Amino acid sequence: MVSVIAVRGLAKHFGRVHALDGLDLDVGEGQIHGFLGPNGSGKSTTTRVLLGLARATSGTVEVFGVDPWREAAALHRRIAYVPGDVSAWPNLSGGETIDFVARLRGVHRHERAYRLERERLMEAFLFDPHKKGRAYSKGNRQKLALIAAFAVPAELYILDEPTSGLDPLMAMVFQHEIARVREGGATVLLSSHILSEVEQLCDVVSIVRAGKVVESGTLADLRHLTRTEVSFAASDASPLASVPDAHDLRVEHGRARFTVDSDRVSSVLPALTALHVEGLRIEPPSLEELFLRHYGDDVAVVDHGGAPRTRREAAAR
Amino acid sequence: MTAFPALLGQRLRRDGVQLVLWTAGTALLASLTYVSVGQAYGTEQSRASILAVVMANPVIMLFRGLPSGAGEGAFMLFLIFPFLALLAALMSSFLAVRHTRGDEEAGRAELVAATRAGRRAPLLATLAHGVLANLVLASLTAVALAATGLAVRGSVVSGLAAGAVGLTFLGVGLVAAQLMRTSSGANSLAVWILMLSFLAAGIGNALGTPSTDLQRIESSWLTWLSPFGWGEQTRPFAEDDVGPIVLCTGFAVLLAAVAVALQSRRDLGASFVPERHGRSEAPATLSSPIGLVARLSRPSIIGWGVGGLVTGILATTLAAVIRDIGADNPALERIMQAIAGGVDMEQGTVVVFFTMLGILAACCAVQTVCRARQEEVHGTAELMLSTPVDRARWLASFMVMAFVGIVVVIGAALVGAAAGLASRNGDWSLLGDVAVTGAGQIAAASVFVVVTAVIFVVAPRLTIPLGWALVLISMVLGLFGPLFGFPDWAVRLSPTGVAPTVTSDGVDVQGLWWLLAAVVAGGALALGLMRRRDLAPAG
Repeated sequence: MVSVIAVRGLAKHFGRVHALDGLDLDVGEGQIHGFLGPNGSGKSTTTRVLLGLARATSGTVEVFGVDPWREAAALHRRIAYVPGDVSAWPNLSGGETIDFVARLRGVHRHERAYRLERERLMEAFLFDPHKKGRAYSKGNRQKLALIAAFAVPAELYILDEPTSGLDPLMAMVFQHEIARVREGGATVLLSSHILSEVEQLCDVVSIVRAGKVVESGTLADLRHLTRTEVSFAASDASPLASVPDAHDLRVEHGRARFTVDSDRVSSVLPALTALHVEGLRIEPPSLEELFLRHYGDDVAVVDHGGAPRTRREAAAR
Repeated sequence: MTAFPALLGQRLRRDGVQLVLWTAGTALLASLTYVSVGQAYGTEQSRASILAVVMANPVIMLFRGLPSGAGEGAFMLFLIFPFLALLAALMSSFLAVRHTRGDEEAGRAELVAATRAGRRAPLLATLAHGVLANLVLASLTAVALAATGLAVRGSVVSGLAAGAVGLTFLGVGLVAAQLMRTSSGANSLAVWILMLSFLAAGIGNALGTPSTDLQRIESSWLTWLSPFGWGEQTRPFAEDDVGPIVLCTGFAVLLAAVAVALQSRRDLGASFVPERHGRSEAPATLSSPIGLVARLSRPSIIGWGVGGLVTGILATTLAAVIRDIGADNPALERIMQAIAGGVDMEQGTVVVFFTMLGILAACCAVQTVCRARQEEVHGTAELMLSTPVDRARWLASFMVMAFVGIVVVIGAALVGAAAGLASRNGDWSLLGDVAVTGAGQIAAASVFVVVTAVIFVVAPRLTIPLGWALVLISMVLGLFGPLFGFPDWAVRLSPTGVAPTVTSDGVDVQGLWWLLAAVVAGGALALGLMRRRDLAPAG
């Protein structure tokens, strides 16, 4: 695999604040790489370092094999970027801003391919190019940045929470565009905290916590690290005794539940067949649960009132 | 109305420091004028002779008040009242827009309107806030004047007149905020009305009828169209007429009522003048960083350019007037010569005006470079720097545009100066002095470009406050230093003070080479360091 982004031991300190603290990140060519973490975990700082807008305090950073801090302008010819907090020039219209950014990225004023692409995207995103920058809502500023990013082909797309202000329909249009650039062989680094979106789009996921990547791999890899939950209709716990590898056995609300290591799911099936269970459900861990595995303690501190910690627990109640 | 005290308190807290500066600054201006009038026009006779000259050259009245006699107080208010009223008016209209349309545009108004405060209470709280601010301004000004020993009644009338003009423009600001969609739109509408009424008052006085002893003027009808004109008609220390104050206040009440009526007829965030649509495609000029900076800076550079043009016209038209005054008034001649450095009065006037022009050009330059910091804080710099635009090139485009601004301001002044000479069939040899002094000030103002740029690179957060403070310090040193008798080395610290100038022996290049060296070295330093600097967004 050819590496597009290679980060080793990246640290970025702002005075005494350690925004990044030994972060490693590898993004291969053609990957759609999900970059997960809550606010303040260091996602935006990482994207700034990758773009050469901020200098690493220590560690090595390579994008397309070169140091982004030294070669920022040259690298940006190959990169499209959507900032996390999009701001537009208040007295430029949306159309002017899109054209301006495209021209800075090397598009010629009368280039036909660009103009067609721009029209197509504006229609797809239902974007009004006549309004002045100050008049756009958060969602519309987000669309503006997305159109500016997708209207000119790039080899690497760095997208910082690109859908945080979009409605579900526009989020679909966004996913369609990602599929389009993926087919063209582009690489995407998608920073987000919308887990369902990452689950749907990304081949590989990295989870950041406190300036470090704590988990990285394909979703399938990550799922193997957690247990799958199995449940079926039962009035008491007696049938569970015969199931091998079962953990956390319990009976609640007329259902027997247990968890099993995700790579051992097939080994419990014979026992379940023998029991003739009804209403069987086997739920692989969601990305949310993978995520909460690393952030669960933080949440627990907040909800000492015993509110559900995961979606599945919530469903169980 | 339970939310009213909270809303008013929040406004007072938010504006505290700013209002202290506006109101105390106005009062300070009043008392400083007393000191300088005492020095330059100490006797009734000297004041009477100046007034006679003014009647003969009405152009001076465009930027002065209404002559009402040669008494110390009346004469002083003739010189300064329009500026006291101008400060009150600017303070009030900005205040009105800031707390109404400004909040609305920023989305804060929505947050407040969703509470018990409703939609109208914020407007009424702003009104009360503005009335309080003008009361403070009026009292401080009255106290400052009375403290100099002038009559108490005249001092109070002066203060109240300035405050009343402020009140009227509070109303103008409130209505403008209802009409326009953005706070910058509302501010420019209010400032346009303000400038036009300021000029209307001046022109109306200039067109007025002088009394037979040439000591007072009956304004023409034009003055009566302007709140500034009303304020002047109080004629403090001469007639102390409070009628015009009532007129101003009544008009302010009317405007406030209009604002309330408009507010209750529109949606939150909507405006009566719809915002113009932009074009859907960028023009050819918007293809490079400098193209963008030019687009962003165009309105302000045009504004400073108009200032330059006016300064140029005044420099040459007033040169002759001041020569005549100087012949009768040795005290004034001394002042002019102190600033200009011992040349004849006509050249001296040109030099003084072009030193002021240097400050004007420096302001234009600092504002343009500060835009880089605003872009960085606002987040648009991040968008631009994520494209193949080098950091140093990005900063360089602001510096180049600042330099263009300087050349525009000085160039406009040269055109104005030539027009001034042409209009009075003047002595064209003055144009040579104008060109030399103007070119010298280009070098001086360019120093501010690089100094502000270096501050921006090294200490981004200080860009705006320190950049402007340095212009102010330089102005005090270069323009008033010689007058107040500062030591020579202190005056020469200011770029405007060491710019090439005209003396009785011809052109003195003074510190030109130092200025050019500072520009080159500072420019290289700023761009070199910019390559090593992180983007520093707000925070």
